[in-house]
Amino acid sequence: MPSSNPLPPKENALFKRILKSYEHKQYKNGLKFAKQILTNAKFQEHGETLAMKGLTLNCLGRKEEAYEHVRRGLRNDLKSHVCWHVYGLLQRSDKKYDEAIKCYRNALKWEKDNIQILRDLSLLQIQMRDLEGYRDTRYQLLMLRPIQRASWIGYAMSFHLLEDFKNALSILDTFLDQQQRLNIIDYEHSELVLYQNQVIQESGDLKQALKHLEKMSDQIVDRLTFKENLGNLHLRLENWNKAADIYEELIQRNPENTIYYKKLIEAKRLTKEADIVDFYMKYNEKFPRAMPPKRLPLNYATGEQFRILLDKYMRKALSKGVPPLFVDLRSLYKDPKKIQLIEELVLSYIESLKKVSKYCETDVGPKEPASAILWVYYYLAQHYDYLKQFEKALEYIETAIEHTPTLIELFVTKGRIFKHAGNPIEAYQCLDEAQAMDTADRYINSKCAKYMLRANLIKEAEDTCAKFTREGVSAMENLNEMQCMWFQTECALAYQRLGKFGDALKKCHEIDRHFSEIIEDQFDFHTYCMRKMTLRSYVGLLRLEDVLRGHPFYFKAAKCAIEVYLHLFDSPLKDENAEQELNTENLAPSELKKLKNKQRKAKKKAEQENAQAREAQVKRDQHHKSRQQGDVEADAPQLDELIPDKLARVDDPLEQAIKFLEPLQSLARDRMETHLMAFEVYYRKRKILLMLQSIKRAHQVEPSHPKLHSCLIRFLQVFNENQRNFDPAVLEVITSETKSLLSTKDAKKLNKEFLDSRKGSLKAALEGAIATYQLDNKLQKEALGLVMDIDHNKYTDVDIEICTEIYKNLRNGKLGACAQSQLDAFVAQCRKRYPHAEAFQPPQEIKAQPQTNHVTTEQDSN
Amino acid sequence: MNIRCARPEDLMNMQHCNLLCLPENYQMKYYFYHGLSWPQLSYVAEDENGKIVGYVLAKMEEDQEDLKHGHITSLAVKRSHRRLGLAQKLMDQASEAMVECFDAKYVSLHVRKSNRAALNLYKNSLKFETVEIEPKYYADGEDAYSMRRDLSEFSKKKEPKKEEQLKIEE
Repeated sequence: MPSSNPLPPKENALFKRILKSYEHKQYKNGLKFAKQILTNAKFQEHGETLAMKGLTLNCLGRKEEAYEHVRRGLRNDLKSHVCWHVYGLLQRSDKKYDEAIKCYRNALKWEKDNIQILRDLSLLQIQMRDLEGYRDTRYQLLMLRPIQRASWIGYAMSFHLLEDFKNALSILDTFLDQQQRLNIIDYEHSELVLYQNQVIQESGDLKQALKHLEKMSDQIVDRLTFKENLGNLHLRLENWNKAADIYEELIQRNPENTIYYKKLIEAKRLTKEADIVDFYMKYNEKFPRAMPPKRLPLNYATGEQFRILLDKYMRKALSKGVPPLFVDLRSLYKDPKKIQLIEELVLSYIESLKKVSKYCETDVGPKEPASAILWVYYYLAQHYDYLKQFEKALEYIETAIEHTPTLIELFVTKGRIFKHAGNPIEAYQCLDEAQAMDTADRYINSKCAKYMLRANLIKEAEDTCAKFTREGVSAMENLNEMQCMWFQTECALAYQRLGKFGDALKKCHEIDRHFSEIIEDQFDFHTYCMRKMTLRSYVGLLRLEDVLRGHPFYFKAAKCAIEVYLHLFDSPLKDENAEQELNTENLAPSELKKLKNKQRKAKKKAEQENAQAREAQVKRDQHHKSRQQGDVEADAPQLDELIPDKLARVDDPLEQAIKFLEPLQSLARDRMETHLMAFEVYYRKRKILLMLQSIKRAHQVEPSHPKLHSCLIRFLQVFNENQRNFDPAVLEVITSETKSLLSTKDAKKLNKEFLDSRKGSLKAALEGAIATYQLDNKLQKEALGLVMDIDHNKYTDVDIEICTEIYKNLRNGKLGACAQSQLDAFVAQCRKRYPHAEAFQPPQEIKAQPQTNHVTTEQDSN
Repeated sequence: MNIRCARPEDLMNMQHCNLLCLPENYQMKYYFYHGLSWPQLSYVAEDENGKIVGYVLAKMEEDQEDLKHGHITSLAVKRSHRRLGLAQKLMDQASEAMVECFDAKYVSLHVRKSNRAALNLYKNSLKFETVEIEPKYYADGEDAYSMRRDLSEFSKKKEPKKEEQLKIEE
């Protein structure tokens, strides 16, 4: 449909040149042509020209002008598909996808068969997972362009994604029939056939899938995927012999794939552990260089056979000097009997190696290399560290270091032992030593930075990382640009521990933005993969993006953010000025003067920092601009700058917490912490039904989790206090839903039952103790009695974490006010038990943050 | 340790491994680009908990004039998992797939002049040969060795298709 305001030939030619300039990214030329039309008084309000001028301006980063022109153009020509399309493109570039879809739909009202608009619409629909809309648009595109391959594939795929396998397959069949006649067999065709097979498999018709795969065999170039699918189908269809043949071939091809062995065992229907061990021994002879047939039988063997196999396995690794021996064997530690056998064996090595340089005194043959005993010490250090016998672990690692003071791995392990023993400072110092021994290795550098962050040394960590980040930008910024989430998460946690809540939130939001960006990343692949025909991987990408925030990186960051927001809700940051006035009242004049000096200095420093930050931001903007000049994505929306102070002073911390919580509730449902955090949020919002929902979900995951008890008690408190105010329908829901959760609605009774039933657990005792005191503060003595005595084997689950938590609760009043003598007595017990743990050191003995040669710590010069 | 072809859901963990181990880093989109263009060519090594401890990220060079060849964009094994021979095993699998799916004649890569350990691996264990030195190849100004490995040994391994056909029809 022509525009309602057609241009005469000369102007029309100019308009076409604007379009061409846009396509070729010659935006300046585009503006020139637009100007030639718009300066003609007759056409100065020409809608489509204004719209195109706006679109061009957008590509030059002049967003405001862009919107102004496009909107003006649209107002002048509401019946133009060009104007609507352009408005849609503009919204799309701002990631306002819903708005953009509306615009495209309007455009299609005036030009229903416009291929370009339909394509653009389909892209947004798949990006937004409007699968039904996508299917309809793909249908139109197929009708309009039946010769194009992508039309068929796109339409078929839309059905596949809707799980309408029948239609998906019939379209693929029709299309492949046409293709077959062309007789071209290449990679793309092969990918398409494999995709077709995937759809058949997902439809559940395994027999048909197998038939199809076998029939198409010679059209498939990707033999690995072919065989993996073939083997799997035979296995699922219980064609045991055929499956076994295929997995034999696969092992031949890649003898390092443990899954192939497991499937072959399944195909051979071996179930007895002895048979499985024999199976692996046979394959060990067949593939002497492969790891799985050596390592995996250790999972199945027991008793004497285990000891013999283990002995052989360990000797080889110790003689060769394989540092990952312990991490390789660690999964065997699930079995206490195996732990004991390992320990006995390795300890026996030491004796013999010391005496005769052999693993066993009766061994014949040559002596072992001098390094063998070093690797034994190294192994034992890790062994005892795993068993939390830190003193022994330290002893062995020290012996190892004495033996060979130049081996980096030893210092890494020493650091890890200190970390587990609760001393992040000593831990980081070990890693710093290790790092200094090989400054060219980024892995050691990263580990060192991580340990620095665990010790709350953020500046030092950044300086360490800077040795490997691009020059010219700060390390923080480069790591953010590279989506280095481990660093940002550890940073957030360090800020959280330091009480710098705004900075912690900034890091959490940066990580959240990485996830948004990675979801955006799909966009270009919607068209790209149709062309490349890598449809299986494309479907894999779509499914991955749907659950992207289920990644553990997101969980960690979200958890930190939620905890910080909860904290900010409980104790909001005070207004700075008010706080200062408050403090000055009780000060002597000399102190006041000092304080004012200090404040002035701090203010000046803050101003300088702000100025620097502004400058950096300008540089960043320029950097982005120059990098993306001429790129279609140059118009990507600029996100708001994340300012720590602003983040820490939001007026709706709970709403902010919910934004981080929601993805966890749908994608990390199997994690207890998700529901415990959800409870904390809704408890503060006094949303009784959502509190109940969180409790129910938590109960499904781990009914015996001690923290669940605290939730139940608080739920009952809120319920009993507000019982009369609830709507009868709500009351009914609560009554019926709590039946299986609560034996009584009397919180005190419930708490007593809990304590009686969980006598051996200190973690449970703490929750019960807090409830005891909170429900009746006259019972403080009883409450304290539950947690103050951690010795005498009363409890089986004592560890550093729970002791730290008890200590925290003793100080923060959750168990009532405690006398210093009580605190001291408790800490003394902990210190005896965990002599290295920082949390239990008397204050004066905490070592000052050590100065390292490459770090200058900023300190107040007063 | 398990060595297998990488899937889309591995790519983020490969990025993590890369950031821990190597100075050359890439945004996720570049990993997606590899995984969605040549899904057969990238491999991972994972431990028993499914944690990625090493990876090879590979691609095809689609330059019409040159012989068809693959390229190793990035290869890393965590220091905590060295001396297990993982790098070599990863490379062999990727190379075989290059030949099988894309008919590659050779595979190329770049390595820092100062990275002796890697150089040693490529030269002695993997039979790469230095083709030339590319001055200032890296962002920090360091030179790179441009290396190549001939893949004809893998072409011979490629199974004859007829036989495969017969076997299945039996």
